[in-house]
Amino acid sequence: MSGLGEGSTSVFDDSLEKIAGYIAGLCERGRPYREYRLPPGREDALHEIVAKVGPGANPGIILRSDTFVELGNPSAGSCACLLWTNDCSRVDDGRIRVIGSDVPESAGKSLAFGQVVMVAGSSLGPEQHPSLEQAQYVADQVEGYMVKTASRNMWGRVSKEAGAKGFDFKTLGGALRVLVKDAAAEVEAVEVLFVTSSKEDVAALASIAGKVRQAAETVVKEHWKARGYDLDCDLSCASCDDKGVCDDIRDVVATIKKNLRRRESGERAGNGERSDDKSVA
Amino acid sequence: MDKNAIKERSLERYKAERDWFAFLLEASDLMVGPEMQLQSKLLKILVESKQKVVDCVENDDPFIAAYFCNAPELFNAMDLPWFMLMETPFLGASAPYLIDDIQGAEEIGIGTDLCTAIRLPIYYIESGLMPVPTAVIGLLSPCDGAPMLHQVLRHNKAWRNIPIYAADPPYSSDDRAIKYYARELRSMVDFLEEHTERKLDMDRLKSVCEESNRTYSLWQEYNELRRAKPSPHGWEIGGPQAFAISQCFIAGSPKCTQWFEQLLECGEIRVREGRGANDNHEEKIRLLWFDIMPYGWIFEFMPWLEEEWGAVIVMDMFANFPYTLVDTSTEESMFYSLAKRNLIDSPMIRQARGTAENFSADISRMVKDYHIDCVIWPGHMGHKDGAATAGIMRDTCRDLGVPFLHIGLDLFDKRYTTVDEVKSKVSQFFTAMDLG
Repeated sequence: MSGLGEGSTSVFDDSLEKIAGYIAGLCERGRPYREYRLPPGREDALHEIVAKVGPGANPGIILRSDTFVELGNPSAGSCACLLWTNDCSRVDDGRIRVIGSDVPESAGKSLAFGQVVMVAGSSLGPEQHPSLEQAQYVADQVEGYMVKTASRNMWGRVSKEAGAKGFDFKTLGGALRVLVKDAAAEVEAVEVLFVTSSKEDVAALASIAGKVRQAAETVVKEHWKARGYDLDCDLSCASCDDKGVCDDIRDVVATIKKNLRRRESGERAGNGERSDDKSVA
Repeated sequence: MDKNAIKERSLERYKAERDWFAFLLEASDLMVGPEMQLQSKLLKILVESKQKVVDCVENDDPFIAAYFCNAPELFNAMDLPWFMLMETPFLGASAPYLIDDIQGAEEIGIGTDLCTAIRLPIYYIESGLMPVPTAVIGLLSPCDGAPMLHQVLRHNKAWRNIPIYAADPPYSSDDRAIKYYARELRSMVDFLEEHTERKLDMDRLKSVCEESNRTYSLWQEYNELRRAKPSPHGWEIGGPQAFAISQCFIAGSPKCTQWFEQLLECGEIRVREGRGANDNHEEKIRLLWFDIMPYGWIFEFMPWLEEEWGAVIVMDMFANFPYTLVDTSTEESMFYSLAKRNLIDSPMIRQARGTAENFSADISRMVKDYHIDCVIWPGHMGHKDGAATAGIMRDTCRDLGVPFLHIGLDLFDKRYTTVDEVKSKVSQFFTAMDLG
């Protein structure tokens, strides 16, 4: 069952196109761009990155004094989103794209940070969405990397130890790909985009992420509805028992407004002003 | 009663509360250790804030009654002292007269099915035991009980002529909703300027918001420390105080920032030394308490959890950190950020105002980030909105493979479900789930 993803489309397909346009736009404007590619197999991919991945891979917490690079401090710019589609041709599995500086050349810096995880699977549906969405927050699952518990932002920290080992976006992207694939067996392809070029570039990405979030809300509602829960008040005025109360409130508001207009118009007339308000009887 | 007698009576309970905290302050001043100094600093801020209100009443200076989620940075920027209408249940619930006051509320006929956090202020208002402010900033969310309190205000003789404004919270949480709520906050400022004769200076607001951002950044940093095993602090230090300091007294004050600096320092020391929340009891169960703390009986229950079970409250609803920092670049961005923080990020409002997805998504994130072993939804009798989502929370926990307990109690009145009953339910749960 592909749920909202009918045939070869899903609710995120428009946003996928917008992201493609966004990347092309930044490249046209000459932003530094690089691309990494990871092999298809899980173990081969893990072999190519410099961090352990999985529960407990980063057992401690990364303190301020242990930080090599900070990513996505809200004052520097931060956003993240995850989108999925049933059309596997839209996602290039194993591709990691970076617009802006990478981690190794940014020691001691606080970088603007945008992270987009694009996922494809022909049988993906709303039931997999919550697990996929949670997978983008890595918790303790990437050695030398920590994401703070912040909503709507992706605020991360790379440790000095990881920095010394050469932790880069290929590693982070590769780790995310493994975690997302582990989150749902239906995932066939994962591609990741990182943007660090500027606060403005991340802000532009954030507006697309906002649309993704809105679309995701619909998917989450559908997911819970299928399990027997309504996240939303699914009411129709036509069948609501309280319709009379709402109608009364509207009448009261209309009367108050009418009286106010009448009073204002009377005051203007009293001041010798001509009333042009034809709506007042 | 003449005006002065009314004034004096309205301050009776408020002064008793101030004196109760001043007593606790004196006691904590005698204790040594950085964590106890932390308590002292908090109590000092609290006592000063209460004293300001007392001074305003006695000198006929403007002050307001409001809530934590009414963008209190704006009150600070307008130099407007304020107190929270539901202050006692949130902050003074440890006070020795709490049960008597709840009983008093019952005796004047307030329904016992109404949230105790709302019943208490109704009782204080109806009994003339609450300072009558210059203006009221009301609250139309997260529950139907809150507007009940406003209805009482409109009918009470001493309060009915006090101007009241409540920002209208939209149901959704998208960009349009935040912009709408930002306009509502601007109208709130217009209202306050009209009725208190205090003006909002945008440069001052910028500086308050910047200070508020420093405070929240430190809080965020501190919260990361609670991921450590063992967690550096449990129920006693951290979340509830962080919430109170950042939102309930003088939001955006350097005093708050200093408190958070010390909190962070205390936490970092403990993490480096590998010390847990309780030096005498090893951490065995990492708990998410997904609600307000049981303030009415906190001292009878929380130490027991640590001592009997090694169960440490690693995270709770009010300690969770979903906050966005305020973008101070323009006037518009400040109001937008404040709107988002107060409409979407504030505890309880975040969960119960709009759609219910945060109940699930927040639990998932906290369980993962803080290595939570089990989730307790206390099921406070006033949180009927949350009761409707207990199934979602339970299913979420099932998906995560984390045990979930729904108790059913009153966080402020221990007569509803006795502390012994709660302990028994929790013990059965821990035993059945093979925890601890």
